[in-house]
Amino acid sequence: MSDAVPGKHWQAKDGLHIDTRGLDPPDPMVAILWHLEQPGQNGPVTVHLNRNPIHLFPELIERGWLYEVQHHDSGEVTLSLRSAP
Amino acid sequence: MSSAFLGGARDRLLPVSIPFRFFVSAALFHLAAWGVLLLEADQLGGFTGGPGPILAATHLATLGVFAMTAIGASYQLLPVVTRRPLARDWPTRLSFWLLSPGICLLAWGMDRSSPGAMQTGAALVCSGLTVFAMLTADNLRRAGSVAVVAAHGWAALLALVGLAVLGMLLVWDFQTGFLDDHAGLAAIHMVLASYGFMGLLVAGFSLVLVPMFALSRSLPQRPGWAQLVLAGVSLASFACGRWTGNTAFNWLALLAGFGAAGTYLWLMRAAMARRMRKRLGLSFVLIRASWGLLGISLILGAALLADLPIPNAPALFGFLLLAGWLSTFLMGILQRIMPFLASMHASGKSGLPPPPSDLTPQTPLKIHAFCHFGALACCAAGIIMETTALIRLGAVFGCVGALAFVGFALIVLLRLRAFQQGS
Repeated sequence: MSDAVPGKHWQAKDGLHIDTRGLDPPDPMVAILWHLEQPGQNGPVTVHLNRNPIHLFPELIERGWLYEVQHHDSGEVTLSLRSAP
Repeated sequence: MSSAFLGGARDRLLPVSIPFRFFVSAALFHLAAWGVLLLEADQLGGFTGGPGPILAATHLATLGVFAMTAIGASYQLLPVVTRRPLARDWPTRLSFWLLSPGICLLAWGMDRSSPGAMQTGAALVCSGLTVFAMLTADNLRRAGSVAVVAAHGWAALLALVGLAVLGMLLVWDFQTGFLDDHAGLAAIHMVLASYGFMGLLVAGFSLVLVPMFALSRSLPQRPGWAQLVLAGVSLASFACGRWTGNTAFNWLALLAGFGAAGTYLWLMRAAMARRMRKRLGLSFVLIRASWGLLGISLILGAALLADLPIPNAPALFGFLLLAGWLSTFLMGILQRIMPFLASMHASGKSGLPPPPSDLTPQTPLKIHAFCHFGALACCAAGIIMETTALIRLGAVFGCVGALAFVGFALIVLLRLRAFQQGS
């Protein structure tokens, strides 16, 4: 799966960034959950999307992740994720 | 942190009452369909069409369970998939209030062979389906992504128009007898409803829903287009074959149908092979079983076409197509999406929504799954062996399973309400 994980990702000073813009569903959800399930990953994680990932939120709650959603005028969305204490 | 979720996540979500009224109604119609079969079990084996309780039970299942589930899911999921919200909410409610009494009246009229009730019920149902078709067409027209899913939606709407027109003609023909080939048109109506409208919606939504639930990468588009073209060729050939009486069209329809189903099953197998979620739960036991039942229904269709000596083959084919493939698939999907949608709408005092697993009562689902498979096995055996007692036992299983599913739906709703009230 790691070779085929959709989207782009990079490590920055503020943690992992995942860019799923341009992907069709369910690839954004698959990419985000794949990164969150990697050993030692507790966040913070910043996700860049071009849609509000409403089907992702129950999966995040199920896995014990907290999230903050920022909507941009362009219609894009930024998610900030961290593991629940 | 969750406050942003509560405001933002709902921008393409309908009020929870809209999809849930369709889903709870589907659960109730499911119980009603098995109930009618329990009362009239002796009529199933020899059924080949015509008004009566088996036709009523069939439409309680096709319109009451399948169409209600498909419409509720379409209203909720299509705006998310196509990234275009529905223009307004009220027509969705209108379609429900046309469909629900229409289905009851149509089924009652079929049971009692009452032309007036059938015609009024059919008119209400067609009006409700028209509202659904217009809303869906408007959404698909504005869809910017996932073209192959949208194309399946368009094809399903085309099949819906055909089956609705034929359905109205057939209902009026019960009173006036103006059709030359009632049985032939009824066969086209049934195939357009099951493999056409429902089958195309199942095939289209599966391209997104199955990978989403299994956490698998999006499926390749070309096989998706191939399954759509093959399904279209199959449906058109079947209609031509029944219309002209040329059996070559029927064999072409069957061949293309096997091709479409084979492509669909290959895509589903690919989704399963690449999935991240290893434990898929009870819903996928049903969904996987439904894939096998789709194949069995086509094999039985081939046996019917070849005139093989299978006892009560038409009734067995119809039963395994409707109660087997479609009902098993939709019950699997419904039990997955109801807690999922409820979670997206719910939040407690903490502001956080509950996980879907907290909203899912497992016991009713286990009872339903056990009884559903028991019902399929007993009824199919009863049809082949021409044993009413076996069919009745199967219908008892079906009723208990359906009752458990109603309990599941109500518990999900009660838990949703409890979380919304912050308890």
